[in-house]
Amino acid sequence: MHTRSAMLLALALAVPGSAAVAQMSRAALVKQSDIIFIGTVTQVGAVAAPEVPASPRTVVVRVDKVLEKPAAVALAEGDSVTVETVRAGSLKPGTQATFYTTGWIFGRGVAVREVGHEPGRSPVVVADQEAAVAKARLEVNDADLLAHIQRAAMVVEGRVAQVRPAELAGTPAHPKRITEHDAQWQEAIIQVDDGLKGARAGEQVVVRFPGSHDVAWVGAPRFAVGQEGTFLLHKDSTSGSPSAMIAGRSVPAYTALHQLDVLTKQDATRVRALIRKP
Amino acid sequence: MRTNAIAFGAALLVACQGPDRGTPQPPAKLPGVRVVDLIPLSLSGETWQDAEPFLALYDSDPKLMAASAFTPNPGGSMSATAPIFVSNDAGDSWTLRNSLPSEGMTADITHAVGGTPPVLYAGIMKVPGFPLNELKASDFFSPAIMTLQSSRADIDQPFMRTTAVGSADRVYVGLNDFDAPSGRTATVDVSLDGGATYRSRRIETRNTAGQNGPSIRPAVARDHTVYVAYFGWRSNAGADVTSDVVVVRDDSGATGATPFKDLVDPSDHLPGRLVATHVTIPWSNAPTLGQERIGSTLSLAVDAQHSDTVYLAWADRVGNGDIYTVHVRRSGDRGATWSGDLRTLTNATNASLAISPNGTVGLLYQQVTGSGDASRWVTRLERSRDGFATHQDVVLASVPATAPAFQFLPYIGDYNGLLARGNVFLGIFSANNTPDSANFPQGVVYQRRVDFPTHRLLDGGGAAVAVSIDPFFFSVPVLP
Repeated sequence: MHTRSAMLLALALAVPGSAAVAQMSRAALVKQSDIIFIGTVTQVGAVAAPEVPASPRTVVVRVDKVLEKPAAVALAEGDSVTVETVRAGSLKPGTQATFYTTGWIFGRGVAVREVGHEPGRSPVVVADQEAAVAKARLEVNDADLLAHIQRAAMVVEGRVAQVRPAELAGTPAHPKRITEHDAQWQEAIIQVDDGLKGARAGEQVVVRFPGSHDVAWVGAPRFAVGQEGTFLLHKDSTSGSPSAMIAGRSVPAYTALHQLDVLTKQDATRVRALIRKP
Repeated sequence: MRTNAIAFGAALLVACQGPDRGTPQPPAKLPGVRVVDLIPLSLSGETWQDAEPFLALYDSDPKLMAASAFTPNPGGSMSATAPIFVSNDAGDSWTLRNSLPSEGMTADITHAVGGTPPVLYAGIMKVPGFPLNELKASDFFSPAIMTLQSSRADIDQPFMRTTAVGSADRVYVGLNDFDAPSGRTATVDVSLDGGATYRSRRIETRNTAGQNGPSIRPAVARDHTVYVAYFGWRSNAGADVTSDVVVVRDDSGATGATPFKDLVDPSDHLPGRLVATHVTIPWSNAPTLGQERIGSTLSLAVDAQHSDTVYLAWADRVGNGDIYTVHVRRSGDRGATWSGDLRTLTNATNASLAISPNGTVGLLYQQVTGSGDASRWVTRLERSRDGFATHQDVVLASVPATAPAFQFLPYIGDYNGLLARGNVFLGIFSANNTPDSANFPQGVVYQRRVDFPTHRLLDGGGAAVAVSIDPFFFSVPVLP
């Protein structure tokens, strides 16, 4: 996958008039990367920190500009980074490029694995690359959100009217278990203001979410009475009980366990645009 | 890395004179004690709650170690892998490598070494879905993803121990298997062939309250005797579980057809010695003790050289105003008879036991002292050569219990780790990471960037970083 992306990008950049292909490939690289920087190769077959094993595929790169990185990672202009390249011999000392990478070894220094690199012009025009990567990231984020929308059974804009403990009947297949990872399911009843997919305004839907503070559920969205938003809802296949009750009626239960499943009310505009996009 | 980062991030060994905080004064700083924060310099901006640490090390190469915690892949929750920490200099420095097949982080992890370095085994609850994954790395320094050897759903708290027999590694994974029949969920997954195949061995022989407690703790001696401790949950009322504390034993490494039946209780002639009966386990999956949840503290250690000797620690609620109390007992006759409480530690958790080759027993635990805003988590290692008739203790950390606010549970861990090798105890615990020398009476080394004079954590650019929970490795000499 990584090799294919790098080859696509190299091909795209080599062929005049292939800007669209190049842009698509850049988005593919961005999607797979969490550390992106412009840098200049200073050594090949070498490493920048002793805890990283040197090989013919490792190169040392001086960071010229960090374009994206996680907040926890200490990486700045002037640092030397070990890059494990996709292919030995693909980079020469003095080459400046945009490096698309993922974290590999974190010690005294940062070592990353190359997803791909973009040689571009030399020297790289920093402002152009910053803008290009930022644009690609937006495209990746939109594509991720669209995929979530497509997987969702229902997309609604609405308001949490009530939160209550879920009453899940134990079944032979899902007996009640005592474990620290228990989700302690809660139910949010959402009053639908606008149905963007699979729902109509005025409906009420039941969304299950974990009330537990356990580490297993640390990233799952929570709901509170009065909370407004745009919600991507999935049929409940997690709690073991696919139905819930509203006013004495049995209705399907939904979940919204991914961070992308709970968006702001203002995000409804963006979601509508993505749904309409051909 | 930049010069200024090196300057700030260089190891800072701080000798401390802890102020009187209303708690018992620790003894003077001991020679040979090391405490090291595992978070590396290149992750100086890290603010996660790195709870529930664990440690694995080799007898044959004292420089190699692996460690884990609820530390996420720095790339974020969308990452396909989760990290472990590794050291190749006996714990003086650590690096983080993303080699676990779990999205961003695990939901539980323990690990143990193979007979030949650097083979490593791990038992994890994988994200997402939380299935058990039993994993192996032929070289845990390799960037390769650990190999999946066995997997199944509906288990809790895998706890791994290993031993080498000839050229084969034996792997014992204590776990709570919710698919076990008749609610007798205490289980040990046993592999006699380096994890190539596993068999699930049920160790509960009595009726339960529908299940056993989550902590199932194996311990292996050099003569292949395997002990396992577990909570025999008998009934529950509200949040309180009435439980027995049970130890089973197998004298031949669980190689037989009906393993773990070599230790029988005289009261009912069933396998599994009832060390304590009808204790009250307060099952609280909410901040209860210094922001920590409680309900599954259990540890077992066997003298590897003399398998007759075994120590057991568990926590329950005594009912004298305590929140949670750790008890320590000893058997000198292969679990047939047990002492009364050798140690009783009020409002403590995360007891971990280990026995050194010279017979020194180590007891690591974390205890809340004081109250309200003045309360502190005190991490302490007690060492004894005489079955705790006397002991010497070392305070490794004394940190605020009210800060930072918990991000999730467990706050510092449902367990920590203690092992013995040669003439040292080696262990790991999680605690508030404020770089305040008063918090670490034996001194501490930070790899991440800190400024001790101002008690601040710093990121790579020198900006202040919020206090969080970090894992700390330690080394303490055994008693002579």
